[in-house]
Amino acid sequence: MLLKVENLHAEIDDKEIIKGLNLEIKPGEIHAIMGPNGAGKSTLANVLVGRDEYEVTDGSIEFDGEDLDELDPEERAHKGMFLAFQYPVEIPGVSNKFFMQTAVNAVRNERGQPELDMFEFDEFAKEKIELLDMRSDLLDRSVNVGFSGGEKKRNDIFQMALLEPKLCIMDETDSGLDIDALKLVANGVNSLRSPDRSFIVVTHYQRLLDYIKPDYVHVLYDGKIVKSGGFELGQQLEEQGYDEIIRHYHNG
Amino acid sequence: MEPRKISPVVQQAVDHYIDQSQTLNQHTENQSLQSLRAKAQMLFADRAFPTQKDEDWQYTKLRSFTQNHFKSQPAKHLTLEQVNQFLPDFPVTKVVFVDGWFNEALSDDLGALPKQASFESYADVTEQTGDFHKLYEHEDDVAKEPFGLLNSCLAADGFFFELEANATLETPLFILHIQTNALQSVQVRNRIDVDENAEMTIVERYVSLDPNQSEAAFTNVVTQIDVAKYARVRQIIMQEQHENAFYFNNQYVFQQDHSNFITFFGSTGSLISRHQNHLWMNGEHIETEQNSACLARNNQTVDSRTDTQHNDVWGLSQQLHKYVLADSSTGVFNGMIRVDQKAQKTDGQMDNGNLILSNKARMDTKPQLEIYADDVKCSHGSATGQIDDKQIFYMQARGINKSDAIRIITHAFLLEPTESISNDGIRAWVVSRLSNGLEKINH
Repeated sequence: MLLKVENLHAEIDDKEIIKGLNLEIKPGEIHAIMGPNGAGKSTLANVLVGRDEYEVTDGSIEFDGEDLDELDPEERAHKGMFLAFQYPVEIPGVSNKFFMQTAVNAVRNERGQPELDMFEFDEFAKEKIELLDMRSDLLDRSVNVGFSGGEKKRNDIFQMALLEPKLCIMDETDSGLDIDALKLVANGVNSLRSPDRSFIVVTHYQRLLDYIKPDYVHVLYDGKIVKSGGFELGQQLEEQGYDEIIRHYHNG
Repeated sequence: MEPRKISPVVQQAVDHYIDQSQTLNQHTENQSLQSLRAKAQMLFADRAFPTQKDEDWQYTKLRSFTQNHFKSQPAKHLTLEQVNQFLPDFPVTKVVFVDGWFNEALSDDLGALPKQASFESYADVTEQTGDFHKLYEHEDDVAKEPFGLLNSCLAADGFFFELEANATLETPLFILHIQTNALQSVQVRNRIDVDENAEMTIVERYVSLDPNQSEAAFTNVVTQIDVAKYARVRQIIMQEQHENAFYFNNQYVFQQDHSNFITFFGSTGSLISRHQNHLWMNGEHIETEQNSACLARNNQTVDSRTDTQHNDVWGLSQQLHKYVLADSSTGVFNGMIRVDQKAQKTDGQMDNGNLILSNKARMDTKPQLEIYADDVKCSHGSATGQIDDKQIFYMQARGINKSDAIRIITHAFLLEPTESISNDGIRAWVVSRLSNGLEKINH
């Protein structure tokens, strides 16, 4: 088991958002988490990677056989967790190249691998840029500054490729993307799929899933997973919306 | 107007400096210079030091300054090795001042400068009754600044440098000021003339021999820079004195048609550091850039000011001033762009950005525009804030620990103005000096 979430409760600003959530993910699996606005999807993504503002009040998160309790976000990144942001952040004056070389070396250090020097990193980055079919001037620009929405999301996928994580959590990566940008992001993800890399795709809509084809689809509502199924559950939600599931949850 | 009340402490300081100026005059044979100083003494006795009631001195508090009585003393003997540790790693022509005194032996051979360039020390210039005026050409303007006026009373060394028309000085002139004595008063008066279509780079560095000196020291500089038609001047100033020092610098820059002047001020040292550019754009198609990167920690105050006067058509002025303030430090920015009625097609841009790293640090900023022409493009902006938590989390999520993330963001913020330095070697040196200052900051 790569990720095992048991009876997770989490709050922000004293408000409980995640209310007893269970989730198990094996290496190589792709899980989609869907749900209406306010269900707790983004909170779940942020709690998994250990963002400060969120507090776990009960339950546990086990990753790669280790309890993540109290681990900082950077330590989780070192262990192979990656979050693709709903809104990737701009960092003026810091080049993508310097940022990612620092990040890659921080992770390599933790894994006991030697650091990459400037030339080795250039080679490594070039490989990934080609794999993802991205523009090579990406590296010289300040992190996300002056990037379009689509470019920012693709930059996150590029970072994912460089850090080679075990679990990629994609927080509404599809929001705000037109169909071409969406396809590029989906292609990026598909090219990074492997038997020992798992994905959690958090999304409101089915359309990204048409390109990524998850193994499992879960519906998150009121801080809990209220229904799970295969790829066809996403399609069913696309047609029927969440109303039926919500009504069933409240009556059940 | 009511006569102003001067506190006993300030009065003692004023008397002390007038006394110093009178002593200086006793050692001068140049009668015109004596009467110039005597006039400055009278004005200074009347005006004394500014207080917090003076608008321009509201946030730069001089109390810690006036408590000391700084004295002009002979310079300590320094070895070449002690001096050369302060040299940058790019080729320069070195001009060394120790405790405010020009030191020929420790400087490079200035006779070996290209023949179109000439260097004269203050002593050489003031020996000649007729010649000394070139160091005191704009006394009315200088006297408007309290520390300019004090410099008129006390200046005892400095230099005059001229670069003839069409000449290019390939090697930057490096003016190194090393402060060694406790309670030293350093009063320097300079002038740099860059004639028509000439080009040069000046790098100035202000350091203390002992970076941990606990006694105060006082450096007070006035420099006039004349940039003639089509001339191009680059200036870099790094102020890195020890943290009990005081640094005041007033620069008076006069530009003519089609000239280009770029100045950069980097500040990491001194208890109070106040740097002022007074810039006259007296011609058409003048380009000018004024940037600063100011870093303060503990109880330091760093104050950078510009007064930019667009007096003719098609002038372009750009400014970027960045401050990083830690601990209980204070930052002050005051920028004024004045556009004369005649100065149509002026393009004046002024930006100020401030990063506050502690709840006790404070920033006071006042960008101003005064526009009398109707066809101009001018803007000013200022933003003050703390590091965005979202940026830190983004970097953490990529595996960079929190303190490194803060360091990287702060670094990038402060260094932005260095991008205007076109020479790679000089920029790298400035970056390394500012980085050295940033390493001392507690996050």
